[in-house]
Amino acid sequence: MFVIEWLSQTPLSLAIQTNRWVVPTVQSIHIVAIGVVVASVLMIDLRVLGWAGRDQTLAETVARFGPWLTWSLVVLLVTGILMVVGEPARELLAFSFWLKMSLVAIGTVIATAFRIALRRHERRWEESIVDRRGTKSLAVATLLIWIGIIILGRLIAYDHIWGAWSMAPKA
Amino acid sequence: MDVTALLASLESSGLATRIRESLYLFPLIESAHVIGLTLVFGTIAIVDLRLLGVASTRRPFSRIAADTFKWTWAAFALTVATGLLMFITNADVYYANWYFRGKMAMLACAGLNVLIFERTIGRSVQQWDRNPAAPPAGRTAAALSLVIWICVIFLGRWIGFTTTQTDLKSGPEIDIEGLFPAGLDDASASKTPR
Repeated sequence: MFVIEWLSQTPLSLAIQTNRWVVPTVQSIHIVAIGVVVASVLMIDLRVLGWAGRDQTLAETVARFGPWLTWSLVVLLVTGILMVVGEPARELLAFSFWLKMSLVAIGTVIATAFRIALRRHERRWEESIVDRRGTKSLAVATLLIWIGIIILGRLIAYDHIWGAWSMAPKA
Repeated sequence: MDVTALLASLESSGLATRIRESLYLFPLIESAHVIGLTLVFGTIAIVDLRLLGVASTRRPFSRIAADTFKWTWAAFALTVATGLLMFITNADVYYANWYFRGKMAMLACAGLNVLIFERTIGRSVQQWDRNPAAPPAGRTAAALSLVIWICVIFLGRWIGFTTTQTDLKSGPEIDIEGLFPAGLDDASASKTPR
């Protein structure tokens, strides 16, 4: 509560609040970056599942999409922080927001662990690990996590659907 | 049937009423719309960046296109379906909204761009399939495509900020003034969930 009160009075927050075009602009950039993330995750997961990019090794696929994933996550972080600073009550009191942040943390940990594991044991990943059922399940789960993140992100605007779990001000 | 009557009949349809009266349907439809559009944009961007010679340059263009093609179309179908569902809940307001009209115009441009690409430079794919970048006409189409789709996303987001949906079901009123001191909650002045 104190944090929200303080954030909403910062010069940056006040600037965002008074310039009405900032929030929609930042949200739009956020969506563009989500597009890059979700497509990158999709292509890596499809490669793991063997549904796309079969002419490429797993490492080549990750080398192509990994950096785009990382950099769009940075853009998402920056635009996300701007949205929190601009409308702290809307975000920080929303149940959807915290659920979303938990999934973002899980999704980021999985993506990072996967890239480290692939770099360390590249040969074994290409030859056998990628064919394990557990790996393929993880690929599907990862995609579902990012889709869940998108849904929860949109639901921040409708946080009242959570009933008593939501403390967000009515939009 | 004139436009006004058509919009009114869409809006009073059982489906539109059902979506308006549900607490969850509109938010979930909108979420599905975002899933669809981010996949459309992301997969199209992969193809466009390949044409521009920015990424995936060592793979033939046709392979990239084959990898993403069906996902782009499936996601596009989802986006159109959910877009229509949102439209009918408040048809006259969306129809009159200039950001909505601009977005539809941009979508038409995107379609036209693809059509021109397919009919011209797309016909000679075999000649440049393995080149790191497409010929100038292909690169122009790719750059246009990226600009158009980013415009579509911006215009789409602006629709949410410039239309009001007074009928949409909202949760129980919360006494914000009681929760927080004055001056905090400027955002709640807007009626539309966004």
